[in-house]
Amino acid sequence: MTNGSWGEPNILHVDMDSFFVSVEVLRDPTLAGKPVVVGGTGSRGVVASASYEARAFGVHSAMPSTRARRLCPRAIFLHGDHRRYGEVSGQIHRIFHSMTPLVEPIALDEAFLDVSGARRLLGSGEEIAAEIRTRVHDEIGLTCSVGVAPNKLLAKLASEAAKPIAAVSGVRAGKGIVVIDAEHAEDFLYAHPIRALWGVGPRTYERLAALGVQTVADLAKIPLDALVGAVGMSHGNHLHELSLGRDQRPVVSERDTKSIGHEETFVRDIDDTVELHRVIVRLCDAVASRLRASNLAARTVQLKLRFADFTTITRSRSTKDELSTGNGLARVAGELLDAPELAEGIRDQGIRLLGVSASHLAPPTGLQLSFDDLLAGTERGAPEGSIGSGWHEVADAIDAIRERFGADAVVPGASMSPTGDRDRTVGADLWGPSDSEDEAGAHSRSRRGR
Amino acid sequence: MKFRCERDLLVEALSTAGRAVTGRGGALPVLSGVKIDASNDRLEVTGSDLDLTIRTSVGVNIAESGTAVLPSRLLSDIVRSLDQGAVDLEVTGDEAQISSGRSQFAVRTLPVDDFPHLDEPSGDQVSVAADELASGLKQVVLAASSDDARPILTGVLMTAEEGGLRLVATDSYRLAVRDLPEATVLGEGQKVLVPSRALGELIRVLGHAKEVNVRLGERDVTFFVEPEDGVSVELTTRLIEGEFPNYRQLIPASYPNEMRVGREQLLDAVRRVKLMAREATPLRLTQRDGSLELMAVTQDVGQAHEEVDAVYSGTDELTVAFNPDFLIAGIEAATGDEVVLQTLDALKPAVMRSTEGSDYLYLLMPVRVS
Repeated sequence: MTNGSWGEPNILHVDMDSFFVSVEVLRDPTLAGKPVVVGGTGSRGVVASASYEARAFGVHSAMPSTRARRLCPRAIFLHGDHRRYGEVSGQIHRIFHSMTPLVEPIALDEAFLDVSGARRLLGSGEEIAAEIRTRVHDEIGLTCSVGVAPNKLLAKLASEAAKPIAAVSGVRAGKGIVVIDAEHAEDFLYAHPIRALWGVGPRTYERLAALGVQTVADLAKIPLDALVGAVGMSHGNHLHELSLGRDQRPVVSERDTKSIGHEETFVRDIDDTVELHRVIVRLCDAVASRLRASNLAARTVQLKLRFADFTTITRSRSTKDELSTGNGLARVAGELLDAPELAEGIRDQGIRLLGVSASHLAPPTGLQLSFDDLLAGTERGAPEGSIGSGWHEVADAIDAIRERFGADAVVPGASMSPTGDRDRTVGADLWGPSDSEDEAGAHSRSRRGR
Repeated sequence: MKFRCERDLLVEALSTAGRAVTGRGGALPVLSGVKIDASNDRLEVTGSDLDLTIRTSVGVNIAESGTAVLPSRLLSDIVRSLDQGAVDLEVTGDEAQISSGRSQFAVRTLPVDDFPHLDEPSGDQVSVAADELASGLKQVVLAASSDDARPILTGVLMTAEEGGLRLVATDSYRLAVRDLPEATVLGEGQKVLVPSRALGELIRVLGHAKEVNVRLGERDVTFFVEPEDGVSVELTTRLIEGEFPNYRQLIPASYPNEMRVGREQLLDAVRRVKLMAREATPLRLTQRDGSLELMAVTQDVGQAHEEVDAVYSGTDELTVAFNPDFLIAGIEAATGDEVVLQTLDALKPAVMRSTEGSDYLYLLMPVRVS
């Protein structure tokens, strides 16, 4: 590693401390100091957020809720209130945006900020980080940890290092801010176990451990050839770069969002394509709503399927049309689902998770109307396969209704089951479905692709 | 087979027939070739993709009759590359010798027996003025779709209308209708759907002729063009089966807004402003008393504005956006010094027509902009 290659620490990674739980504590202060878990409460649910008191028992996010219950039976389990989290997240992100326009939202409670352009006005990265922490605390009543470093990789590791520490004896306050400058970058990075790097999952870890690689320092030392031999060419090169602290990815602001998507894990695996099409309609409706809210249209639609055996595949298709209606997206996603090569897997295994995302986004340049749109209102109807068909007017009406009466006020008829049961709101099952079907659905939240 | 022919005539005969040949011939390799028949002092060249067949014929000195299939593209390229003058072609066994001056080529032939047998044209023959048909087709073919997903829309509807012929095409974004009152090709109530690709080829060959003869069969239509000298052409195309959309219901009964503007002036202005309409960005036309304002804005690139004198009557100020290419096609297809643009509102079809005569109509759907 060449020391000279490090830039100024201008990248901030801001991560709220146990965000969902903290918002709950804000609302109900009696929860303070207790083990609290927010997440899916059903048999297939996962933990979305755990208080540091619960973490002391080994509970962490993405852990199956059933396991969390076994580890910490005293914990208070909450299904969560997505609408509220969304509101608070909005306040937090507004504070970020008052510092720099270059904010890349990663999740409701997490974002990267590039402050290189704000330094003259607002001070060093460290000073800006301190300002953010103060404002988030004073204006909202929450705490966050900030990593300040020359790139995203190091900033993310730094914010981790700034976090409070959970121990059985109690929760110790963290540093709050950790700054990694050129001088300390190497030592800081090398001390991390390789697991801390993006792209080191269980399988990669196993292969690297077999080479005696445990820390990033070990990883940086082994020859690239050996690394490539163990994990493959592209992954090997990638890890090599990371081990040297090289991460060129820019902070991409919301305006340059690359994709908008939704996905859903099912209570039970679904092998009925008709039912899967209903899910597609529902997800596409939600994605389209967000596209229109951001004044964007998509030219590419991606379908993600996770089979019962956890094999996950994605299929995407681009169109020459700009898509911004649920109907338009669902038509393309539906075609992807109907691909003959998928039929067998769906029938034999069933689908555990289905996701739809829209990419290749740009503000709509305008929609070329067609005579099909004109005929859509007549009894003849539009020819099959036409795209416009008056759906844009429908979308406008839907947006107006939702604006006034809320997201659940109007849903696509095609997303209803034949018995007329209304399906859950998109986003409600982000952390796995709850067992009781009547549990209040949470509001749709963004899952932003890179 | 053995004959001698002038290079220019041979080039024309080969390249015109070759236009029906598509690529490598797909499933039937012999279709990448043209069939050459030489007999009775006439040379016939046939190219086909099974949907469209073009046969050219030219009078030449035949030394020895015969039939052969030769690779279309290669043969055409060879003959075109030769110097002006006589070209000799002789086929012996499975090899063709092409020679001119001191150039000599030997080309392997394709199996004659594989070349599909093509039915002789059927139906009664009627004749139409070539220039009239050509001008009508040019105005209509441009609105036909090239998207094979909706095959019906790739055709031009030819229908009998008040004793004359009506041509109609639409790609679902625009509709072109042209009446040829003098052309009595079809009987009362008769209508056929002809692939626009074939008609595009027909337009090319109509330029050389005064008259075109048409024979309408059950499944296909044949057009004959026989110029006084040179290469005569017989173009046969399969008809498209299916019901053409009811285009009449698309045409509004009346338009509250009407604008008259100089055709060349408008065309020049649209072409200029279009430079700033990148990536499918529409052109916005704002019509008000006395002027037409054109505008294009492409995000992160820039914008263009132009004002054109116009006579306008209707709603105080109306902005309608169009795909610039569709707009240009309509202005170009209209004839005369002045065009009329009639509109209802920003979301309804607009009509572009010439102030001279009412035998042509170009209906265009706007682009919906926020």
